[in-house]
Amino acid sequence: MTGKTPFAQFPDRIGLTRSVRRIVYVYLAAIVVFAVGQVVHPGFARLDSIAAILTVASFVGLVAAGQTFVVLIGGIDLSVPWVLNAAAILLVTSSLGQDGRAVYALLLTLGMGAAAGLVNGVIIAYLGVPAVVVTLAMNGIMEGLTLGLSGGMTCDSCASYAPPFVQDAVHGNLFGIPTALILWVVVIAGVSFVLSFTTFGRKTYAIGNNAKASYLAGVNVRLVTMLLYALSGFFAALAGILLVGFGGQASLGMGDPYLFQSIAAVVIGGVYVLGGRGHYLGTAAGAVTLVALVSVLMAMNMPDYGRNIIYGIVILILLLLYGREEKQE
Amino acid sequence: MSAEAAIERRRTRRLTHFLAQNVGLVLALAMLVMAVVLYGAAYWIEQTALPGMFELTSTVNNTMALVLCGMGQAFVVVTRGLDLSVGGVMDLANALAAVHIKDSVGSMVGWSLAILAIGALLGLVNGLLVAVGRLQPILVTLATLSIYQGLAIRVLPQPGGSIPPVYSSVLVNPNWPTALVYVLVVALIWYAFRRSSLGVSIFALGNDEQAARANGIDTVRAQIAAFTLSGLMSAAAGLFLAATATAGDATTGNGFTLSSIVAVVLGGMNLFGGRGSGVGVIAGAFVTTMIVNILFFSNIDPLYQSFYEGLFLVIAVVLGALISRLMRRRSR
Repeated sequence: MTGKTPFAQFPDRIGLTRSVRRIVYVYLAAIVVFAVGQVVHPGFARLDSIAAILTVASFVGLVAAGQTFVVLIGGIDLSVPWVLNAAAILLVTSSLGQDGRAVYALLLTLGMGAAAGLVNGVIIAYLGVPAVVVTLAMNGIMEGLTLGLSGGMTCDSCASYAPPFVQDAVHGNLFGIPTALILWVVVIAGVSFVLSFTTFGRKTYAIGNNAKASYLAGVNVRLVTMLLYALSGFFAALAGILLVGFGGQASLGMGDPYLFQSIAAVVIGGVYVLGGRGHYLGTAAGAVTLVALVSVLMAMNMPDYGRNIIYGIVILILLLLYGREEKQE
Repeated sequence: MSAEAAIERRRTRRLTHFLAQNVGLVLALAMLVMAVVLYGAAYWIEQTALPGMFELTSTVNNTMALVLCGMGQAFVVVTRGLDLSVGGVMDLANALAAVHIKDSVGSMVGWSLAILAIGALLGLVNGLLVAVGRLQPILVTLATLSIYQGLAIRVLPQPGGSIPPVYSSVLVNPNWPTALVYVLVVALIWYAFRRSSLGVSIFALGNDEQAARANGIDTVRAQIAAFTLSGLMSAAAGLFLAATATAGDATTGNGFTLSSIVAVVLGGMNLFGGRGSGVGVIAGAFVTTMIVNILFFSNIDPLYQSFYEGLFLVIAVVLGALISRLMRRRSR
């Protein structure tokens, strides 16, 4: 510790561990982005504008919850875009915009997401096929099924709206706080609880650190892996439901931005991409930072392609800062 | 024991050894034969004739881009990585070709070489980030995919531009399957690569990185080279894509990230590195195109295309995993 400047010693002195420190940095980064936004575009950090940004971040944050689970065991879920899109379309086509069918449609949609994730998990856990390939294939399967079954969104029920019940729930307020945000806070609390205070969470970290050692220690590695991928599918479907409730109607390609954004949120949030380290609290802050950054760029009239480029550069810089593999010598 | 029986035994052992070593390649070629037969049958039912020169030409022309980017992907898969930026490099090459290539020999040759060099440079960036930056290939190439796609849209915001007809007919002659020559060239490139010291280093790196390093192989250099080759091949794929479409579109390359992985997996490459054949990947690319053709003749809605691609990818990896598990059990 002797080589550190007094400033760098400060976190050690107040007793913050390395992983907690990393999460604190992400929240600081989010605040910095909002401050920069306020300078570039006065009014950016007004309360209603912050609430709007947080609401958009909640969609990314929900998808990123599932992504965090699988990244924590060193996996990845590339099937997010079309599981989300299929969920959005399934919700409108099965509910036909009627409140009476809303509960059935919600259960069906969430079940579909979890089932798609479970299939990923079974193939990954039992056959040892790389997660990238399985989830990429699942993304293609969901895309083809969605396009084919909806006739390219030309089916009669495809133009249905989300049930008013779901729309109101997403647009509503509780004590002035958007309901989508409240749901996200509940999810943050729930996921954090699972990760920090349950055996399931302990097992997840154990597998991420060393799958073989966890197996020898009696962890049912396959079962946990399957459940984690099922959770990822579930959260993608949940985000799809919220998005379609937010926008009213479903459309093709609505899930595409969420693959990149969910992985970016995970990486920005300080989750170690080879698994075993990181927390959803970091990912949630990562989602806010990312969406705030995009909003600043939009306020500066940055064209789409510029946003793509900046996304990529931000991820690369963050990876170089703390996503590096230990040097093998 | 008679001498003949011993020789016979040795011969069958050598054959089983060859099969065990090249199980991926053999399966890929078997799948290709199956796909061609199925295609012929579907065509016969629909047209009461066998597919002829026209079908061969269009199949080869349509597959060239996938052959090239699949081969690029193969170089990276051998090192145990994956290159998700393949589609982005193709987009950028495609856009640059449509904007810049004009109807003169100098422009065509000059810009083709320049675009190939740019592709290699983009691959080099990936390689440096992965090998020197010690980052995860998947995340690096996901990030650069976003950057390269952004650059491609910057070059060609709307689909358009044009490719000189001469250029198209040199790369993908619509009347004769001359593109088969390029398939042969790609296969030869693979064999040259496999026998070069670079090929040996890349395969050694994929088999066991630490052992390779212990044997004096510069693994950093090998990894960088693999990604650079992938960028170069993807740029070539982008040129073929532009030539087939005779115009540019900065988004048509996107789907090739998935397709290139499908081709590599159907081609029998081991995704855990160090094993596989480029010839298998060429076969895998053709199988991928044939699947689409067969679906077309079976009157299946083209909207389901990515469903079948994904399904075949799953079936191929699951079969591959089961077979390798079976082989391991038998060799024990």
